[in-house]
Amino acid sequence: MLKVNHTVKHFGNLTALDNINLSIEKGEFYGLLGPNGAGKTTLMNIIVGYITPENGNVTIDGEVISVRNLQLRKKLGYVPQDIGLYLELSAETNLKIFGELLELKGKELHKKIDEVLELVQLKDRRKDKVGDFSGGMKRRLNLAASILHDPAIILCDEPTVGVDPQSRNAIFEMLQHLNKLGKTIVYTAHYMEEAERLCSKLAIIDHGKIIAFGTLGELINLLNQKDTVKLQKTSSTTRLLLKLSEIGKIIEQDFYYELIPNQNYDKISKIFAKLEELEVPNNNIEISRATLEDVFLNLTGRSLRD
Amino acid sequence: MKTIYRLIIKDAIRFINDKPAVILTFIVPLILIIIFGNIFGGSGGPRGRANLILVNESNSIVAKLIEQRLDSSKSLRPVKTYESENGKNTLKFDEETAKEWVRTGRISAAVVMPNDFLADTSTSIKFKFYYDPKNEIESSIIQGNIQQTIFTQIPRMMPLLMQRAAIKEIGNLKGEKFVKNISEIVGESFGVNPDSILRSVTVIDSVALFREAKDSSSQRNFVNNLVKFESEQLVGKKITNPGLTRTVGGWAMMFLLFSLTGAATSMFEEKQEGTLKRILCMPISRSQILWSKYIYSIMLGLVQLLVLFFFSWILFDVSVFSNFGNLMIVMVASAAAAVSFGMAITSVAKTLSQASGFSTLFILVMSALGGSWFPVTLLPDWMQHLSKATITYWSVEAFLQVLWRQADFMAILPNIVVLLLIALLINSYALIRFQKGWI
Repeated sequence: MLKVNHTVKHFGNLTALDNINLSIEKGEFYGLLGPNGAGKTTLMNIIVGYITPENGNVTIDGEVISVRNLQLRKKLGYVPQDIGLYLELSAETNLKIFGELLELKGKELHKKIDEVLELVQLKDRRKDKVGDFSGGMKRRLNLAASILHDPAIILCDEPTVGVDPQSRNAIFEMLQHLNKLGKTIVYTAHYMEEAERLCSKLAIIDHGKIIAFGTLGELINLLNQKDTVKLQKTSSTTRLLLKLSEIGKIIEQDFYYELIPNQNYDKISKIFAKLEELEVPNNNIEISRATLEDVFLNLTGRSLRD
Repeated sequence: MKTIYRLIIKDAIRFINDKPAVILTFIVPLILIIIFGNIFGGSGGPRGRANLILVNESNSIVAKLIEQRLDSSKSLRPVKTYESENGKNTLKFDEETAKEWVRTGRISAAVVMPNDFLADTSTSIKFKFYYDPKNEIESSIIQGNIQQTIFTQIPRMMPLLMQRAAIKEIGNLKGEKFVKNISEIVGESFGVNPDSILRSVTVIDSVALFREAKDSSSQRNFVNNLVKFESEQLVGKKITNPGLTRTVGGWAMMFLLFSLTGAATSMFEEKQEGTLKRILCMPISRSQILWSKYIYSIMLGLVQLLVLFFFSWILFDVSVFSNFGNLMIVMVASAAAAVSFGMAITSVAKTLSQASGFSTLFILVMSALGGSWFPVTLLPDWMQHLSKATITYWSVEAFLQVLWRQADFMAILPNIVVLLLIALLINSYALIRFQKGWI
């Protein structure tokens, strides 16, 4: 449905995007994950037609996004990183302005405004000035303004920056709801928790390059790393080290022992059974699973939030 | 104390790094002081000379003398010839052509020394002064300088004119005898040759006349009756509120520039707020956004001008509707040029605060140079040339033509063409930059 083909973009000497290729299918919740400055927003700006790449193009259903094909942009709903709203105007007036620019009018426009305000739970604040809204409310209205015209693809550029956990959850639920309705969602994030929770597919981007892509499971499999068990460093666990080595390899860390299970202990239940047998207290045990953070660290040698 | 010191340093660092603030604090006042200083303080070189047409139809040596004095005036620049319409011949001004030039606003004043400037039997000298007080200060300066030039020469001619007055009163023969007797009495009493006294009152002594005359206010008062200074206002006689009619255009243009530059540079605000990006991601082209901004700003400018002129009419009886069609044309052209100025600032500046700083600097300088605050003719010559590079100059002149002179469309056409050309060029530049995403 949405394809990014051999896209290149420079800003002066900086290579913002280096031959990017992406293919996003209808109905996918696609995450673009990378640290700040990785090139996610540049890629998003190229997809929505805000900037033009030096090389390559972006197509929707085979049609190239360009200034000669402005109507194609109607298939896109862009949720910008900034609050792209007129703060001195009411929520309803903002939606009217943007709706009319999206060529909606009359009853259809009013109906759409009602629908999106309902979805983002701001119907009772429709007459209030956006400037008086909380950060979370602004973010929700920001989303509402982007989906007024019922776009097939919703592009979200870190739409939860600076938002309280409650509003973030609300936005996640709204996006998941839209995804269930069949919308394709492209979501940029530098928080792995967001990406893990929301995205069915992910591309990890760094220094303008896509360094890995696939489902969450596929990406974690790239690590070739199994779940590990952390045992708190106490006198009792230290005494049991010899017996614990039956489960797998033990690596001593500052405050805990890291236990990497061998093939005989390929299930968590088996590990727990053995630990119970050795009478290791429950509160000394922690299961550690591989995360996207580990994937990113493994691929780039640095942390996602560096 | 250290804390206060650190806080002061913090404010100083922030100020130095805020270029618009530095511009507004130092550069704007400095430039305005230079302009005002040149006008009122005489610093930075001589003030510009006011043009006036000089028609000398007299053969009198006195007229020649006055012409020479006017030629060497530091305040006036007499213009005596003009080029014919085909530009091939240089023609000498006559009285009617001079009047026409004043009437049509090509020059502010004309002084005519007619054939009968100093007739053989005349007891006074005769001047004709035609003027257009479109700029009150300029008119006063021209009149004052002409009168000063003339009156400082009059004492040299006083005996002759008095002798003629005496002859007129008591008859030719008796008069000559009277003068001769008086000369002999004076010569005998003061030990002076009576013939030289007689010569000084009967013959114009050209050598003495061309010597520098000493100015004296008592002499000037005395000779007032010896000079017939016929002045005629050729333009604006029917204007009900000349003062405001002359200045309203200048002020209107300055405020128009401020408001429309603000409207044009609001693009920066939209960019900062993120709304511009949202709109650019819709099925809308960059040129559509720029044109909408342009048309909206012109409309805003027109409404602003209409309100301003309407209240000038209601409150101060400024004659707005007598030439309303042409006034509208000037308003549209001025608004178009003012918006384009805002677009130019938007194109060049990188941030909103930069745009605000630059626009304030340029608007105040253009207003001072272009005639919004005082007549351009008060500026030094080099500044008068510079003023023609400002939008304000062409607009203020057009407003003057329409409101003061009640001029027709052809008279304002050159100004309109210049304003629209400025608008066209700057907008094309802004459009290219915006389409390339440089704004």
